[in-house]
Amino acid sequence: MYKFSSQIVVFETSRIISEGLQSILYQSEIDCRVYYVETLDHLKVTLESRPINMLITSCMMIMNREKEIKKIRRSYPLLNIVGIDTGFLQKHSIQLFDSTFTLYDSSEQIIHSISKLVEKNQCLSSKKTEEDNLTDREIEVLTRLVNGQSNKEIADFLNISIHTVISHRKNITFKTGIRSQSGLTIYAISKKIIEIDDYLPENLT
Amino acid sequence: MFLTAKTTVKPFMKLSDLIDNNPLLLLMLQHFNIDFSVLDLSVSQLSAEYKISENLFISIANLYNGFGTNENETYSKTDLLQVIDFLENTHVYYRSDKYQQIRTYITQLQQNHPAKELKLLEKFFDEYFNEVIEHLDYEDSVAFPYFITLLKKEKGKSVQELYSSNEYNDHHTDIELKLQDLKNLLLKYVKINGDLDLRRRLFFALYELEFDLYIHSQIEETILIPSCISIENEQNV
Repeated sequence: MYKFSSQIVVFETSRIISEGLQSILYQSEIDCRVYYVETLDHLKVTLESRPINMLITSCMMIMNREKEIKKIRRSYPLLNIVGIDTGFLQKHSIQLFDSTFTLYDSSEQIIHSISKLVEKNQCLSSKKTEEDNLTDREIEVLTRLVNGQSNKEIADFLNISIHTVISHRKNITFKTGIRSQSGLTIYAISKKIIEIDDYLPENLT
Repeated sequence: MFLTAKTTVKPFMKLSDLIDNNPLLLLMLQHFNIDFSVLDLSVSQLSAEYKISENLFISIANLYNGFGTNENETYSKTDLLQVIDFLENTHVYYRSDKYQQIRTYITQLQQNHPAKELKLLEKFFDEYFNEVIEHLDYEDSVAFPYFITLLKKEKGKSVQELYSSNEYNDHHTDIELKLQDLKNLLLKYVKINGDLDLRRRLFFALYELEFDLYIHSQIEETILIPSCISIENEQNV
């Protein structure tokens, strides 16, 4: 219910800017959680420990730190980076950002540029989740799984590696939204992948 | 009225307005042992009356209102003891109210519909419920007593290294996952005809539980554990 769809980190030493931005974000339609950090080290820790998908920072903060920002880009290719133009934004640094706004933009304009990026993100992730049809191979793995076979047994039987079995299992969970084995059993029965009578006698006494 | 807009809780706001805005705050009041007749009291008046620090009250109220906690906020030992009380009260709510209610609905559903899948669903819920009870028992009997000892201990006294907040953090399993499974099964996969009243009641109960469990783990992860870890670090210096 309450999984914030956007986790935003604001990298900024000016309290006026970071708190102002936070209140604009929280009052908007964007469903987000905002963290703020003032040092590069703290930023790195935050990026490592939380599923951050957007970084907002001002051009003052990244002055002479282009290398670090590029490094962050490489480590987190899906991270959107938004720049706040405080009036000193140089042309060559614009390319570091996915989007920029200025200190004097209205809150609507700011939200507009941020939500475009948020939508782009959601678009990418919804494409992945649309599919809930399992492939034949996944159905095979699922059937063996709910019959109580271990990853190793499934791998041996289907003549594939354990890694492949694990990746099939991940895909099954991803597509169905069901994680537990007993939950998957009920899924398999509802989808008529296995017959309930095959399963019931021994397990329902 | 239902979380259509988020309100950031502020000290001067009236409780009655806040509840009107987000009725789930009633759960919070109950976990804090605060009566529902909040009169015309503001947040700061009410927390003073119940001897809860204003910043703790506001932090948790904001969690219920859909915001995160402020990482830089610090909590006193008294605050943290109250947090433990609060969490223990949520356990009572899960054990004797919410889970019993959900169990009753599922049994009823299973009796109304002969589909064998529902028998499995009932079994699934029982297994899940046992896991939850195990987790709650663990918190009540191991984790919370440890935290209470840690918080009540005087400075300078040696620490008995039987347990630590980090260990608790590791043990802190995610009991929300199976609940998610149950919801997905009921929403997407298990076919049941009609019986909408009963099924709606079941869904509402599941969502209420899920919401409170989420807050519960947020309180543990963002308030209790980080504060206790820093107390441990101070004592071990």
